[in-house]
Amino acid sequence: MSNSLSALMSATFYERGYDHHVEVIHQRDAEARRRLESLEVTLYDGAGALLATPKVDPAQDILDLGGLVTAATRASERVMVVLDARYDEAIFPYRPHHYAYLHRAGSAAPPLYYAINAVLGGVPDRVGATNINNFETYLFRRGPFAQRYSLLLGCLARFVPVTAQVFTYYGSRRIAHEVTLEPKCHTEIVLAAEDAGERLSRVEVKSLFRLLSYVVGRREDTDDFVLFDHLFTYAK
Amino acid sequence: MTSNPVAEPRDELLLCYCTMLTIGELRAACQSGRWPLRDKENTGKLCTACVGDLLYCLRRFGVDASL
Repeated sequence: MSNSLSALMSATFYERGYDHHVEVIHQRDAEARRRLESLEVTLYDGAGALLATPKVDPAQDILDLGGLVTAATRASERVMVVLDARYDEAIFPYRPHHYAYLHRAGSAAPPLYYAINAVLGGVPDRVGATNINNFETYLFRRGPFAQRYSLLLGCLARFVPVTAQVFTYYGSRRIAHEVTLEPKCHTEIVLAAEDAGERLSRVEVKSLFRLLSYVVGRREDTDDFVLFDHLFTYAK
Repeated sequence: MTSNPVAEPRDELLLCYCTMLTIGELRAACQSGRWPLRDKENTGKLCTACVGDLLYCLRRFGVDASL
């Protein structure tokens, strides 16, 4: 164990009706079980109001977000779940992440596995990475869509609002949209599947201060999530 | 449910999660004219999620800061 701890503030969104489990640490070594030093969980509604601060055991491997949110709040709308961890760097020697499993209860749709967006502390000084990561992109697959796409954005800033530009691309046409989020607020931005006969091909999020961001897809017929992923930074 | 007014910068709050800089360390460095601290030069430049908060705090602590 090193003398100093590292820190990670990451977040995701919980919607009722889903099995949504966070793998806090992937236990790689049966002989050396690892655990966080501490983990604080806070829940926020879309307007940034603090809903609850449920107590969790930092030694838990798996967090059941459904159980956590349902026990702590009566919220029926989407909830932003913020995970504030302290850890020894041996647990996450490179870029730290928690991972998650997502599946609507009773759905025939396949489950989703994704990396939880590491917003604060996602690029620890010790790893020496210098690429700018506040300009992120998601490329959509070609072929007909059976999904409705959107962006889920959240602001983990403590004191100031964050403004982001969202660019959607349809063929050679680019449409710009600006969004400003106050601290702890979150929102969903629907991405139209087509514009002027051209299919949605790409979305970009650009902000001076990095936001929590996921691109999500829902089935047209059942509304189940079929995509839940962070955007990517493509270094030139 | 409680509303979430803008928080007062408390010294124990961790401002930059990448360099592990606290508000208290930043406040003390600004007050003694030692900002940026050695070993904390990358504050705000890595994950970039704290830049807005960093600028806000620097101005609160009397440092003329901009991007």
